[in-house]
Order: sequence, then structure tokens, then C-alpha cells
Amino acid sequence: MKVDVKELKPKKAIIQIEDIKPYFVNALRRIMISELPKLAVNEVVIYDNTSALFDEIISHRLGLVPIPTDLSLLLFKNECVCKGKGCPNCTVRYTLSKEGEGSVYSGDLLPAEKSWAIKEDKIPIVELYGDQRLILEVEAVLGRGRDHAKWQAIQAPAYRMEPIIEFDKTKLDDVKEFITKLPENLVSIKGNKLVLKDVTKLPIIESYISKENIDYITIERDPTKFLFHFETDGSFTAKDAILESVNILQKKYEELGKLLKNLK
Amino acid sequence: MIIPVRCFTCGKVISDVYEDYKKRYEDYKKAISAGEKPKETPKQILDNLGLDRYCCRRMVLTHVDLIGEAAPYE
Repeated sequence: MKVDVKELKPKKAIIQIEDIKPYFVNALRRIMISELPKLAVNEVVIYDNTSALFDEIISHRLGLVPIPTDLSLLLFKNECVCKGKGCPNCTVRYTLSKEGEGSVYSGDLLPAEKSWAIKEDKIPIVELYGDQRLILEVEAVLGRGRDHAKWQAIQAPAYRMEPIIEFDKTKLDDVKEFITKLPENLVSIKGNKLVLKDVTKLPIIESYISKENIDYITIERDPTKFLFHFETDGSFTAKDAILESVNILQKKYEELGKLLKNLK
Repeated sequence: MIIPVRCFTCGKVISDVYEDYKKRYEDYKKAISAGEKPKETPKQILDNLGLDRYCCRRMVLTHVDLIGEAAPYE
């Protein structure tokens, strides 16, 4: 297995993985969607709401706000030492109170402890007019993406296999003529293969091939080379998210191994 | 009503860039109606705001902001 990090931003990553089968990358992708825990608002106590939106809509919007999560400090509520009652080990509390003209932003949610402050503080929750008022208290807990989309930390994880574009060597002249019709710097000829400068531009060459009815160029995909890309919603950095996902996958296999030891 | 917090399709948080988009789009419209060359086109604004996929772009592009009209009614 070979890994090459193509791009690593705080909320986005592109990683090339080679010498591996699709099922392995797919396992990682599915862990990212459904198993990686993150914090999200799960309970809202509304003391006063005279705004234009219903309590339910405001609660729903609060649930979708990404909350920075440190998994080393938190436990699931039902597995916690407090047995599901709610304590600082498993729940994070915020309060919000705002009155008078202006927008209410996610940054107005004030944490009990400063380290839990919301980083995505520009999300509008509701707009207040005149002397409208919004006072509430929320409780964020850990959850998994398989239970609700608000607990899905990673957006759009996907992989593409590397394309192999081959052509008939006897028709080299035709291929050269075909390339002049393509946008500039899209492909270059290497032996009997066409090499794309940018793999994401594959649909362009595909559309030209079908438009010109060309049968001497074939496009296949290499099932051992992957370009894996994903984004996070801001509750984790991209680096933390992939490391944590790999950890979860590893723990699952370890558990399976332990259980299988008892086989006779 | 009010801009959705996330993109319906992929789940990316898009509401935090809506106000910025609206402001920059107004600048673009003003420049067009004054017959000047705009500083940036809506395409460039969307690219600059990090909305790469067309699912997220349509969220911002097609949204109708009506919260101001509903606001007087509690």
C-alpha cells in the first residue's frame, strides 16, 4: 500500500492510495459516514421565543450547527459513568439569549467552558425584529451518523479509480488529430496511452469521444489506484477525522479477531 | 424563509457564506446596471466562497430570503 497526501486543508483532504482493492477504501468511507462520533445539539430548552420561526425550526437549525469535538474528553451518554443522567463527561451545555433587532448567530451560543466555543460562529439561526426575544439552553451529546445526519462529521467522502486511456497503436495519426480538437493541455501521448493532466477532467475527454464516435480509444479504470477525497463540517480537522476513522475500523477488526479466538 | 443551515444533498454548511454572497452579488448587480465592468461575476463569487459542488451552489443561488416578510408576525 502506498499513500500520498495530495491536499490537506483544515476542512478538506485529497489522498491518493495505491496497491489496494476497492472494498478497503469503501470500508473506510462508510466508517466516516456512519461510525465517526461527533457532538451535536440533542436537547433544547426554550424559555422564550417571540421570533418569526417556530420553536421546532430553531431547534432543528441548532442541531445542524457543527460543534468542535475532542473525542479524548468525551463519552457517549449511555455509556457514561453518570448512567445517562448527563454530566460534564458526556454533555456540553450552551446558553443563548438575545433581544432586539438583529441576527442571532451560532456564535451567540455561549458554552459553560471556553474550550467548547463554537468555531463556525457565522451561521444565522434566526433574525429578530423590533423587541422580539430568544432565550434558550441547549445540550450537545455525542452521536453517530447512522442515527441522524446531524451527527455525520464528514461530508461527501468519495473515491475515484485512476483512468487508463488506451488507443490502437496503428491509428496514432487519428489520435493526434483527435487531440487537436480537445481543449489545450488536457492530455499528452505516452506510448499507446493518453495521460490526463488533471484526473477530474475525465468527463471532458469522454464527451469528445462519444461526440466524435471514436472506437479506437478505450477508457478503463485501474481498481488498485484511488483518489480519495472528503470534507469535514468543522467539528474535526480533516487530519483528525481520517486518523480517528482508521482507529475505529482497526478496533472493529480487533474485536472481531478476539471473538473468533473462541471458535473451536 | 431563512437560508438552510446545510446543503440538502451533501450536508456542507452553506448558511455562513450566504450574507457575504448577497452583499457581493448586490455589488455585481450595481456595477452591471451602472454599465461598469463588475469586479467579480457570480461564478467567481461562488468559487471564492468554496462552493465547489453544484448541490451547494444551487442552495445559495436559488434561495428566496423571506424572513423579513414573516418577521412582524410572532
